[in-house]
Amino acid sequence: MATNGTSKTAVIRIQKFNPDKDKKPYLKEYTVTVTPDTTILDALEEIKATQDGTLTFRRSCRHAICGSCAMNVNGHNTLVCNQRVNAHLDKKGMITVRPLPYLPIVKDMVVDRTSFWDQYQRIKPWLVPPEDVPETEFRMTPEEVKALNDAEKCIMCGACYSACTVTAMNKSYIGPHALLKASLRIQDPRDSITDERLVEISGADGAYRCHTIFNCIDACPKNLNPTQAIETLRKLAQKRAAYVDARKERQKTL
Amino acid sequence: MYKTTGFFSFVLRRVTGVALALYLFLHMWVIGSVNQGAEAFDARLATVQSPLFKFLEIALLAAVIYHAIDGIRLLIVHYFDVAEYRKSLFYAVMVVSVLLGIAGGLPMLLFAINGG
Amino acid sequence: MRITPTRIFQIQRISAIALLVFMTTHMVVVHYPPMHIDFSQIIVRMGEPIWKVIDILFLLSVLTHALAGMYMVLTDLQKIGPYRQALGWIAVVLFVVFFAYGTKTIIAFQPPV
Repeated sequence: MATNGTSKTAVIRIQKFNPDKDKKPYLKEYTVTVTPDTTILDALEEIKATQDGTLTFRRSCRHAICGSCAMNVNGHNTLVCNQRVNAHLDKKGMITVRPLPYLPIVKDMVVDRTSFWDQYQRIKPWLVPPEDVPETEFRMTPEEVKALNDAEKCIMCGACYSACTVTAMNKSYIGPHALLKASLRIQDPRDSITDERLVEISGADGAYRCHTIFNCIDACPKNLNPTQAIETLRKLAQKRAAYVDARKERQKTL
Repeated sequence: MYKTTGFFSFVLRRVTGVALALYLFLHMWVIGSVNQGAEAFDARLATVQSPLFKFLEIALLAAVIYHAIDGIRLLIVHYFDVAEYRKSLFYAVMVVSVLLGIAGGLPMLLFAINGG
Repeated sequence: MRITPTRIFQIQRISAIALLVFMTTHMVVVHYPPMHIDFSQIIVRMGEPIWKVIDILFLLSVLTHALAGMYMVLTDLQKIGPYRQALGWIAVVLFVVFFAYGTKTIIAFQPPV
């Protein structure tokens, strides 16, 4: 841990829950010494090492790319590995860390993400190439690549899914993460099942279930924009036939 | 609850929307009495012109105004790529709603107090 | 014609835009300034056919908007999911009933003879 700057104490309030012992989650306070460089994940690791070995949380890469450590910090979903403790202290010098909301808690910070992955699988997040694959490479224009850039950056951390008010009410909803990925595949000129994808996302659980609440944008640690992707999907779904025909024409010149 | 300006606007939109839909059916029931002639109409109208209803009408106007202005915001979001201005848009909706609410509600309030 | 979620979305947007016009007209002409409403005032205005047409169009958009909105509010809930289709039919029946009732009311407004 880097030690530049002055160190001070901070109170980390953590929501604990052990399904074998506790009836419902409760908050427990831990006091740790932090420097300006200490991340929330560092603080959690220190608590686990020196104060409470039962503290359970997921983490892996510590570089904001694996998507394991998404948690709810002071009421907002974020990754804890790239957020400094000092930046989130409230007036009382305290941080409240909870698991991602609206998902079943397995233990402490670990939540059950089954519905998250199920909905992701549902939209077929892989590329389905056309039958006559060119012998050389596919040729896409810079504009086409730019449209896909955003969704490619998604690290599947679940922050947007868990922040969404609609998924809170209804786990059948495809969810912002999967709709963002669906928009990536639908706008990809190499993909050949555009029609099937548009039918799926314009169903009762699809893009029209979104009520433009913007929680997904507020939550996304990668500053992506699932709401705009969903708006794009709605527009494409409304002119589905024309869009599918245009895709077929486009693939002749790929 | 995951509280953001978007969540707040969503809850307000839902509450005003459901309230207005329920009001619509009440409104049609009152106006529908015209089928039974002028006396029935005036009688049914009189029951909904008590002071309590006068104040509820102001709340109703506020609901209509908020729901409408918020709807305009959603149309803007749908047709233009303005998601990054979501907070400003929300506050703009609130300011416009309050101003219009005062413009429409104040005369109603004065009328209700002065009697008519 | 099958009413798909795409159609509901379009209906909701189109009726919303129509309502912006009709509701503004309705509020200004009927309810502002907030004078005492009585039968004689309304009957004069309602005697003109153009107002009957405007009011029927207003009724059409406000009913579709309200019922489609209620349908979306209810189907957002997980437990309602399995009854989505039944709910849709209830909305259609309610639409027909209230549209018939409202249209009858609007047409029944006659200037005193």
